[in-house]
Amino acid sequence: MQLIVNIIVLSAIYALLACGYVLIYRVSRVLNMAHGEIAMLGAYMLFTSASLFVGNPLTAIAVAVVMSLTIGVLVYVLLMRKMTGEMVLAAILTTIAIGILLRGLIVLIWSAAQQRPLEALGFSNPSIELIGGARISACAALMVIMTAVVYGGLFAFLRFGRWGVRMRAAGQNPLLAAQRGVNLNAIYALAWALSSLSGSIAGMLIALDSGLDQTMVVIGLKAFAPALVGGLDSLIGALLGSLIVAAAEVLAIHYIDPLLSDVVPFLVLIAMLIVRPWGLFGTREELDRV
Amino acid sequence: MSRAPRASGYFRTSYAQDLALVGTRLERTSLGVFILALLAFPFAASAFQLDLACQVFLACVGALSLMLLTGYAGQISLGHAGLMAAGAFTVGILFRETNAPFWITLPCAALVGALLGIIFGLPSLRLRGLYLAVSTLALHFVVIYLGGEYESRRGFSTGIVIDPPTLGGFAITDGRIWYFILLAAAATTLLLCVNLLRARSGRAWRAIRAHETVAEALGISIAGYKLLAFVISSAITAVAGALFAYYRGFVSVEAFSLFLTIQYLAMVIIGGMGSLLGALLGATFVTLFPYIIETGLLALPGAQRYASLLFAVNYAGFGFVMILFLIFEPLGLVGIWHRIQSYFLLWPFKHRSASGSR
Amino acid sequence: MTGTLLAIEKLEVVYKRSITAVQGITLAVEAGQIVALLGTNGAGKSTTLRAISGFLGLDDARVTEGTISFKGTHIENRPPHENTRRGIVLVPERDKVFPNLTVAENLIAPVPRGTSHVEHRRREALVYQFFPRLGELKTRIGGLLSGGERQMLALASAIVCRPELLLVDELSLGLAPVVVEDLLRRLIEIRRELGITILIVEQSATVALEIADYGYVMENGRIVLDGTAARLRSHPDIQEFYLGSKSGERRNYRDVKQYRRSRRWYG
Repeated sequence: MQLIVNIIVLSAIYALLACGYVLIYRVSRVLNMAHGEIAMLGAYMLFTSASLFVGNPLTAIAVAVVMSLTIGVLVYVLLMRKMTGEMVLAAILTTIAIGILLRGLIVLIWSAAQQRPLEALGFSNPSIELIGGARISACAALMVIMTAVVYGGLFAFLRFGRWGVRMRAAGQNPLLAAQRGVNLNAIYALAWALSSLSGSIAGMLIALDSGLDQTMVVIGLKAFAPALVGGLDSLIGALLGSLIVAAAEVLAIHYIDPLLSDVVPFLVLIAMLIVRPWGLFGTREELDRV
Repeated sequence: MSRAPRASGYFRTSYAQDLALVGTRLERTSLGVFILALLAFPFAASAFQLDLACQVFLACVGALSLMLLTGYAGQISLGHAGLMAAGAFTVGILFRETNAPFWITLPCAALVGALLGIIFGLPSLRLRGLYLAVSTLALHFVVIYLGGEYESRRGFSTGIVIDPPTLGGFAITDGRIWYFILLAAAATTLLLCVNLLRARSGRAWRAIRAHETVAEALGISIAGYKLLAFVISSAITAVAGALFAYYRGFVSVEAFSLFLTIQYLAMVIIGGMGSLLGALLGATFVTLFPYIIETGLLALPGAQRYASLLFAVNYAGFGFVMILFLIFEPLGLVGIWHRIQSYFLLWPFKHRSASGSR
Repeated sequence: MTGTLLAIEKLEVVYKRSITAVQGITLAVEAGQIVALLGTNGAGKSTTLRAISGFLGLDDARVTEGTISFKGTHIENRPPHENTRRGIVLVPERDKVFPNLTVAENLIAPVPRGTSHVEHRRREALVYQFFPRLGELKTRIGGLLSGGERQMLALASAIVCRPELLLVDELSLGLAPVVVEDLLRRLIEIRRELGITILIVEQSATVALEIADYGYVMENGRIVLDGTAARLRSHPDIQEFYLGSKSGERRNYRDVKQYRRSRRWYG
């Protein structure tokens, strides 16, 4: 039973991170290799705002959320916008460089020591007992709930919102979208903002649950696997892919070898790339267009 | 691929001239001077500078192999560090388990690299672009995991210590001797790459990078040449890793992180894609970069405070420079160099005329 | 609405700095007209449309000489979204709808210039009046529409944008004549009801001359003939080379020498 809880929690983490990759890929066919670092930055924002607004945890959280949206927009407007129209490889390399820059800046501003935003916010993280004797921490439970909320919100926005439709349109045929008056820059900035937000939520919750330090980047990289396994342009795929990868990882750690935790996602990824490179729900043409 | 600008009046009138590596007399003399300078350097440099030079040569080998794979054949690979680790670990494992000498371990490293090259290269037959990059990234993590497993299983939790290679009972530890060894390695790699590129393989790779479907229609075996690019590049990279292991006398998984791959990618980009000179320039720049930052930082007042931040400044500065080059100078240092050359060649004119010249 | 809406003077468009696709053409479109641009493949018609709507940059092409004026303002080499904002909307030859959106979503996606939400809704309703078939297909995915339905959707989404000048590239390509007839009738209706000026590019002269008021014939980047639709329809060369009617006797294509043809064009 505990295993199932662990799987669900891990898939929540992966799902929250994976949807960030999918959002940006869907509109601009760019794989944002700096996603882990942006998520980390969001978590550090929470830590700082918690330290600034002591005694006002809700304000701190609200400020952190706004900051994470801003980060996404800034990264796009200042840096990635110059790369639109360039080769996809160049854009991906730019995201790698941005990731490195952010990582260095984070250490410069906050030092590499582990931070505990949980204490700064004044919350506690009790362990909750579930049926079957399994345990889950409050923050982890919150993470699962937030995953549902974020995904629900994204689905609703993309299917029913006017700008959600325009975002999907821009992803399918950017030229036609531009011809029909859609401001592509605004769409891309929006995609980056949403991606940054969802990533930061993941980062914040991870930080609340288990402390904040540089290791979050590794989780960001591992989250590639669920995104690709599900299909880089599919949100449902990201959800399902997260479940599959999380299940594989938790079971492998439990039954085979705990050291496998960092490798299993990539093994699943390799398997999927061999069998069905465009992922479970991805569109096949995506492969050739790269 | 951009050709170096030349002054007018240079014509090639025979096949031999066309095939020659060095064309004009100016090129010959400047190359000669450069080689002399390289050979004389160790006798005038400090131990620290010698070490820097050795690091640069090591980086050159890895950068050239990556340039071959990504800059010429157009196959994106994020597994570079994994391949270097494979070479280093081959040396480490063979040394620890069988005490093999370097003239066995180095070829073995190359062989391991070649075999891994086939594995890393197989996805390229089906995937392109970012999917290929991610598959090589995944394989990198697998290699690193295997290396880590070996370390923990055999109790080398902090890494494997290797004795320096011996030649006729004489251990090679002197900085100057290493300088010449690594210089020879870099030069050999350069010559190998130059010749591979001048031959059919080079033309096939350029064709594949430019337009794969057309290349296939022309009868070039895409699968064969892609795998060839991976195999050769991986073999060279593994040897680079092996040399690195011998130079440092130490092998550990931590040294071969994703950041190492990114550094090599940066060398290729900052140097200039599609140019061997670019690989060399990029390797020099990226290797010396942290030391430049350190010198700059220590020159500031209150240097002691900054010393602990050095690593982070390095990181951030590195990312920043990479971004600058990607956005503003996609042709890299080679592009800048060609522009400088053009400026002097064309002076007092500012532009080449639009029609007629090419 | 009267007056010249679009005026092109001695336009030259060069691809990749080496290939001149349009070699100095002059044409004008009066407000409220339907003007046809005819010619075979590679004549430079699509390039001209792209130059007007501002999409040359993507193909590494530039207007190197001449001017394009829309309502008096020069618009050559301006970015595409500027031209869309001015009211120049293009219905492209390929990739004309969003393949994975429903018909309804295809009509929600466009951002009409300077209108409120309410206006946009009103515009959508209007478009469903012009194309009732689309109303029946609201939930069908764009990529699964038939050719004729797709062209209808493309026109509809262009009209939602409130254009003053509608550019249509190759309306009849790949469509059955019955379908084309239907579309043409609707275009005339649109011109009449909404007062939109239309410039259509066509390989099929029959189709174009049916609805056009005025026409230009392009060949190899030049305009070789122009005139009212009636005059063009009765012109012997048009009849022979574009409309397919011969003067009766059997002609062997070998007999029609190149120079004789060109003498008729330019002489």
